[in-house]
Amino acid sequence: MQHEWLYIGLFLVVGIIIPIAPLIIARLVAPRKPNPIKQSTYECGLETVGESRVQFKAQYYIFALVFLVFDVETVFLFPWALALKQMPLFVALEGILFITILVVGLVYAWRKGMLEWA
Amino acid sequence: MTLANVIEWLVKGLVWVLILLGGFAYLTYYERRALARIQVRVGPNRAGPWGLLQPIADAIKLIFKEEFMPARADKLLFTLAPIITLTPALVITAVVPFGPESASFQLFGRTITWYIADLNVGVLYIMSIASIAVYGIVLAGWSSNNKYATLGGLRSTAQMLSYELALGLSFIAVIVLANSTRLLDIVEAQKGMWFAVLQPVGFVIFLIATLAEVNRAPFDMPEAEQELAAGYHSEYGGMKFALLFMAEYDKMIAICTIAASLFLGGYREPWFLRDTVLGVDQTPWLGPLYVFIKVFILLFGMIWVRATWPRIRYDRLMAFGWKILLPLSLALVFLTSIGMLLAEQVNPLYQWGIPLASLAAGFIAILGMYQTLRRKEYARA
Amino acid sequence: MTAPAPVETLDLAARFPGWVTPDSRPGYSGWIVEKDKLLDFARALRDDLGYDYLSSVTGVDYLPEGKMEVVYHAYKTTGGPGVNFKVQVERRDPVEVPSLVSIYPGAEFQEREAWDLLGIKFTGHPDLRRILMWEDFAGHPLRKDWREAYFEEEFKPFKSRWPEGKFQMAEDKARLGDNLSFPAGFDPRKKTDFDPEKALYEALRQYQKTESGLETEHLLVNIGPHHPSTHGVFRVAVVLDGETIVNLKPVMGYLHRNHEKIGERNTFLMNMPYTDRLDYLTSMSNNFGYALAVEKLMGITPPERAEYIRVMMAELTRIANHVWAIGFLLNDLGAYFTPMLYAQEERELILDIFEAVSGSRMMCNYFRFGGVARDLPDGVLEKVRDLAFDRLPRKVDELENLLADNEIIRARGIGQGVLTAEDAIRYSTSGPLLRASGIPYDVRRAEPYSIYDRLEFDVACRPNGDIYDRMMIRFDEIRQSLRIIQQTVKQIPAGPIMAVKPAYQVRVPPGEAYGRVEGPKGELGFYIVSTGKSSPWRYHVRAPSFINLTAFGPMCVGQKIADLVAILGSIDIVLGECDR
Repeated sequence: MQHEWLYIGLFLVVGIIIPIAPLIIARLVAPRKPNPIKQSTYECGLETVGESRVQFKAQYYIFALVFLVFDVETVFLFPWALALKQMPLFVALEGILFITILVVGLVYAWRKGMLEWA
Repeated sequence: MTLANVIEWLVKGLVWVLILLGGFAYLTYYERRALARIQVRVGPNRAGPWGLLQPIADAIKLIFKEEFMPARADKLLFTLAPIITLTPALVITAVVPFGPESASFQLFGRTITWYIADLNVGVLYIMSIASIAVYGIVLAGWSSNNKYATLGGLRSTAQMLSYELALGLSFIAVIVLANSTRLLDIVEAQKGMWFAVLQPVGFVIFLIATLAEVNRAPFDMPEAEQELAAGYHSEYGGMKFALLFMAEYDKMIAICTIAASLFLGGYREPWFLRDTVLGVDQTPWLGPLYVFIKVFILLFGMIWVRATWPRIRYDRLMAFGWKILLPLSLALVFLTSIGMLLAEQVNPLYQWGIPLASLAAGFIAILGMYQTLRRKEYARA
Repeated sequence: MTAPAPVETLDLAARFPGWVTPDSRPGYSGWIVEKDKLLDFARALRDDLGYDYLSSVTGVDYLPEGKMEVVYHAYKTTGGPGVNFKVQVERRDPVEVPSLVSIYPGAEFQEREAWDLLGIKFTGHPDLRRILMWEDFAGHPLRKDWREAYFEEEFKPFKSRWPEGKFQMAEDKARLGDNLSFPAGFDPRKKTDFDPEKALYEALRQYQKTESGLETEHLLVNIGPHHPSTHGVFRVAVVLDGETIVNLKPVMGYLHRNHEKIGERNTFLMNMPYTDRLDYLTSMSNNFGYALAVEKLMGITPPERAEYIRVMMAELTRIANHVWAIGFLLNDLGAYFTPMLYAQEERELILDIFEAVSGSRMMCNYFRFGGVARDLPDGVLEKVRDLAFDRLPRKVDELENLLADNEIIRARGIGQGVLTAEDAIRYSTSGPLLRASGIPYDVRRAEPYSIYDRLEFDVACRPNGDIYDRMMIRFDEIRQSLRIIQQTVKQIPAGPIMAVKPAYQVRVPPGEAYGRVEGPKGELGFYIVSTGKSSPWRYHVRAPSFINLTAFGPMCVGQKIADLVAILGSIDIVLGECDR
């Protein structure tokens, strides 16, 4: 089993080298003649006004929070799903209870208007 | 673990990555030709016979293109972002089996299997790598310091987050059915029946969620050309752009191989051919071919969707993910586990309750959606 | 077939004594309103007399008389002829006229244009900036005493080219920079600290801020001019709160070439091919409007056959334009070219016909004063018949089947970008935009020209004024156009195609005329003033693409950024016409 993770590690090395290689090749063969106009930020041919990295609408972050809650709970479900056939009925039903709690959480977020994109 | 071993796996990994890259190149060709046919055009047909050399011409052009970087960009992250995007797209396929154990062959005295690694937590691996992919896009958007790119990056985060839940939950349905997270086991478990048949709605949810995960139409918000110019890769050009582009198409291939493995029996033959000469047990080398055919068809589905549908709007995309897909996939997990429990403890025939119940749940979801839309229309008049 | 509304004799001079006098110059009509009474007059005109639709606002520079004139054309949305009123002011800077934006918001862009090009200051205008020229441009180019760089002589054809034909490059005669005139105290070599965008961004920041719990910064984004989906070099400066549009200002003029100034140099006939370049998708309709205006001045009517050919071509243009508009709206919604290419197939077949009759697919230059340039060649009528009776009805049904029930299109179209009927009138929108808001106003019915009063067709109208209705109304209009074409194919008589002998130079008596047609994009009007010379003294185009954009801002505020592009696509603009 450890070997398998090692294989993944080796594959990861290949997976990192492969994207870097063309970048290096391109760096060697591609022309480079920078000038201020070329390097200006694209905003439909105009100079940008203001900062791009502004304090953004909180909506995006609220979604991230809700996601975090659900994602962690999804991961909890994985071992349960894996052992479903071996476990006694009571334990299996407990997992289903857990899903119900998730649904209640979703309904709560929904009712609170967290899922409205405004 | 010897040096020879290391070299063997490095070479194997390299070959597989090169196949993926070739697959990317010809996927662009495939997409352009297929789109052209749908749109009553011809498509690329100048470079080489039937335009077959077009991807190579494109690659050469991109390599020789000038590399530039906006002055206001974050130099390090701007360069790293394409790599961070592409690497997960490549390594995610490590656990996907492309042929049965019996199809392994001997080369230089070594047994070559049809997968990179045989993890017992394969599905978890796929999930975790899939969520890394979003970093690249966000970083690309953020480091460009460009308004369209920033918006595109933010959009893609929110979008991928939302659809990852549905994706993860549809994985759980598969795990329940297969009773394993090892992909070889999952594929073998589909010997009798594909999970796409046992869990049709789960399969559809998976397909929809993957479209969103790989930013394909109609969920191509992060690069919505109409509003955001080119979205998160607005500032990219030359090879860096090629890498981002490559990542997108390799993600398509990867996700299609995963879909084929989880729901369409992977390298297994269609279940009704099990005992014929076309079965993988009888002729093992057919395995990779089956994967290829399935991936080819799934890819065509993605291209078809792109050619046919307009983009849905961002807020509706989120609403669809959270209000339809998430409850529906929770319901599916619920139904699947109940069905499996019943099948296990009472009567195996209850297994067939799963597709029926999930279809009913899907129908209710569609009905709910339809009602909401009609209500809107009524409010309009 | 509805009869045109009964013509009531309107004696404004008797109704508003002291305010209004009839315009008694030979060849002129309408009323001259006292400058001080303009606002009261306009309010009475709108509220009491029912002229709720201000079609056109433009200015004329009467340099010899030392006067500037602002010309207004107002109509009733219930139909019937309009009223034409003017304000005359001394031609001495600052030339000031009260702004009508408070009464007719549709005047906003047109008054800005008049300020920009003619230097008429509209007092009380909420946002009087230049609109077609850039902000630090010196002078007002449509004034008769304004001369461009490389100015040669007042009227075309220039003597250097015709009849002597001694052609000389303008830059050989004068070195670059030698023939430019700068305002006093301006040194072109020095960098000024003038920021041309400042006025725009300041105007953009003026909006009602809503109080919400969380403080977020609003993002100012420019969409366009260099952008894939603004239908050309159109620019919108948008203020965003997350993804929601808080305020926006359209910016145009990137394709500005001062069409009107060039038109005032050209002879009357030279302008005919020039109108092709306005809305380059609908050159036949542009020809139609211009021919109509000049024919009104000349007092001629084309022979019967020519009228039929004209109507046939104009309606084919409408179909070609609408399939194109539908296709591009779908592109704006994010469909990857498929609907557009399907629609384009039909357009190509129509362009084949244009090519057969005029020799050109897009820049047709087919109409002449008093008729059309050539008769229909053999076989064209059969081709039109095939299209109008067989292929197009089939294909339009097919396209509609593919699009009308698509769930995403419905979701993105229904209830989005709504323009209410009142707003549609207030903002002087026209064409499909106005009719999709539930106002059945069509120049072909409201004030019939050519042979439209004899043809049977319905004015397409949809009640909701959203993106979806604006898409669907184009299908309705295509069907009506097909009905018209079918009738013209059946009824077209034999006979001459020109009322007068074809000539390079036409004699146009002095006077003014406003010719308007229902172009595919809306009401296309040409206001022409002749002094009896070979060139028009004033040549103004009431461009529907330009004026329909007045309603663009109000439609978008509160919508998502993705809707902005869809709304723009549903208005259907062409920058060649918008920027002129």
